[in-house]
Amino acid sequence: MKVKNFLIGLACVGLITFCPNIIYAHGVGFRQSSFRSIALEFFYSTGEKMSYREAKVFSPKDEKFAVQTGRTDEEGRFAFIPDCAGEWRVIVRDEEGHQCEAKIDVKDVNNLDVKTPEPEEPLYIRALLGVSIIFNIAMLIYRRK
Amino acid sequence: MHISEGILSGSVLIAGWAGSLTGIAYGLKRTESEKIVRTALISSAFFLASLVNVKIGPSSTHLTFLAPMGLILGCSVFPAVFVALLLQALLFHFGGLLVLGANTFIMGISALSVYILLGKFIRESEKKFLTFTLSFIAGALAVMLGTFLVGLFLGLTDGNFLTAAKIIIVAHVPLAVIEGSVTGFLVLWLKKSAPEFLA
Repeated sequence: MKVKNFLIGLACVGLITFCPNIIYAHGVGFRQSSFRSIALEFFYSTGEKMSYREAKVFSPKDEKFAVQTGRTDEEGRFAFIPDCAGEWRVIVRDEEGHQCEAKIDVKDVNNLDVKTPEPEEPLYIRALLGVSIIFNIAMLIYRRK
Repeated sequence: MHISEGILSGSVLIAGWAGSLTGIAYGLKRTESEKIVRTALISSAFFLASLVNVKIGPSSTHLTFLAPMGLILGCSVFPAVFVALLLQALLFHFGGLLVLGANTFIMGISALSVYILLGKFIRESEKKFLTFTLSFIAGALAVMLGTFLVGLFLGLTDGNFLTAAKIIIVAHVPLAVIEGSVTGFLVLWLKKSAPEFLA
């Protein structure tokens, strides 16, 4: 028994001495990078932020498998670092079936100049337009009847 | 309760369109010309109701008015839902155009079901408490039926969505209670002020 324990101890000492890379397999560290990222904000059309929702990033190289997954933050923000030019897609969805897909056209990874979409008409204008269209459709159907 | 674009599979989308187009055609055929303005009015209310946010814990949802739509419009509910959802997709980005068929079917059939199941009893009930109770059940049932169908459509697309479907159904229980109460008071008011409004 003593011999067995001695041999096991000897093997351990040997491993630590001669194969330190196996024992201490992964060192970790960090450095501050200077990569530029694209930060997006996701929100519902009512203005509410899409907080803590699942987000997936699809590269132009592979449109089927996400290159990055994660969640938006409390403010509905999500950032990624594109490594090639082309159309990048970011899909954010919630558990209720809502999904927002952002398509970002990256022309040069060293110079990320992303165009922000034109602001839409105010909500009340769109609401009034909708009601107006509904009554116009009703009048069309009424005349045909 | 809207399903967004890009979630449902092709076959489920086609099934949704088939169901909703049948409902729209039947609804248009059954809509009398003197009820068209009423249909437009209720369709507008449904269109605008989506802007009324209801805070439920950390999340929020919006009113649907499915039961009042069904009880007031009866068979004409499908065209009203379709037009409102089309405009919600175009103007508010709720749902989407490809998934419009599925969303129309889910909401239209939920509203129509409560009309078929409870419409006659609500119209004929004379006691206020009974009217309120039946209307409350109609309001809550329409929401739960709608969420069940959303879950079913998601489940038919991908089995992994079943967990999400369960979450959706549980998350909509408070909305069902709110919609039940709103429907109860609305029907009581309609029976008193304009009983001819109920289909």
